[in-house]
Amino acid sequence: MSAYEVVHLDELERLPVDDEGLLWRPLRRRIGLEAFGSNAWTAAKAGDRVVEEHKEEDGHEELYFVASGRATFTLGDEEIDAPPGTVIFAPPGTQRAATAAEPDTTVVVFGAKPGVPHKVSEWEDTFAAYAYLKLGDEEQGRKAIASALERDTWRSHYHAACFESLTGNPDQALEHLLRAVELDAKAREWAQDDRDLDSIRDRPEFPA
Amino acid sequence: MSAEPRAAHISELEIRDVAYHDRRWAQLRATFGISAFGVNVWTAERPDQIVINEHEEDGPRPHEELYFVANGHAVFTINGDEIDAPAGTFVFVRDPAAKRKAVAKEAETTVLAAGGPRGHPFEVREWERGVQALRHWQTKDWESAIADLSDLHAEYPDDAMILYNLACAESLAGRREDALGHLQQSVQLDGKFAEYAADDSDLDAIRDDPEFSAVAGQADTPSSSA
Repeated sequence: MSAYEVVHLDELERLPVDDEGLLWRPLRRRIGLEAFGSNAWTAAKAGDRVVEEHKEEDGHEELYFVASGRATFTLGDEEIDAPPGTVIFAPPGTQRAATAAEPDTTVVVFGAKPGVPHKVSEWEDTFAAYAYLKLGDEEQGRKAIASALERDTWRSHYHAACFESLTGNPDQALEHLLRAVELDAKAREWAQDDRDLDSIRDRPEFPA
Repeated sequence: MSAEPRAAHISELEIRDVAYHDRRWAQLRATFGISAFGVNVWTAERPDQIVINEHEEDGPRPHEELYFVANGHAVFTINGDEIDAPAGTFVFVRDPAAKRKAVAKEAETTVLAAGGPRGHPFEVREWERGVQALRHWQTKDWESAIADLSDLHAEYPDDAMILYNLACAESLAGRREDALGHLQQSVQLDGKFAEYAADDSDLDAIRDDPEFSAVAGQADTPSSSA
């Protein structure tokens, strides 16, 4: 393994992760960073989402840096105009989100949980799986799901169920869903109105 | 700035990095009270100015470090390899023992540096202890700088950087004897401060003293950045 890696923002993939224009630019997995999390997020058009609305309930501190364009952040009840060079710190539990105020807005994020060794976030593989599927690259998506399943968590099986359901493999979908429910009852709740699972909803084994 | 700042433009946070290369420095970790990773931003105002001082990240708590060239154009040197890094470049130094530095190729070159230990919880590095006192350099309030650094010195008597910065503040305040004494203690603890003293204008007021010449003369590598 080499002592260092170099990558330009323009070389990072642009993976669609929602219907609001948010593009994930996977940095951490590209360079093999393990000590903390870091990614870039891009909105191609003004009005597109550039930071997903979320709270970091797993305890991560996050620092956002506006690299280009211009973003409008909301942090709790506060709205922040953020031209390039703005830094925004969101402690865990604080609701945060951002939309682009100008085209080609990119935000770079650094994050980790205080007091513990950093663990790579589970969402990376599942975000990648759905994004590749959206881009028509099932094979790459399947690799990401396989990587997620190495953790054998309820979430990884749940997303594997959705992935298999969306790609026309109902038997495998059901198998993963039942394993997810076995690991955590939350999977049953999630499954009730998740349209990704519609292809197996009528099966008698479907956890109602 | 409020007690719990949440957002700022880096230009609002920058101070002059009086200890190293006269860069501008926004102390992001300290400003926001981040405790999960280290993060700072440095800006070189002119071409050929050092923006990341040469250092390694090994030692008792080795760090992985990620640099992001946010503005301008930098040239990194890592273990002797030269890397052209225009704005938008990420440079990730996985190996804590790798010797790295970055020099600005253009004016106003800004580099973010974030770091943390792989497989261990992050702990604030020793070198960050005295950095808040450097704010007094902006207002030339040397007596406040001396007061803050004296308190830190009492708490961390073997911290050579605190002693060095205390010597600088005392020199600037015209306290010749105190400055010479603390500079001597600093160099005794860490020889690299003799090298810094050689061309640090903060110490010009004591440079002609024979004791100053006796102190200077050793060299070592500069310390870490995130």
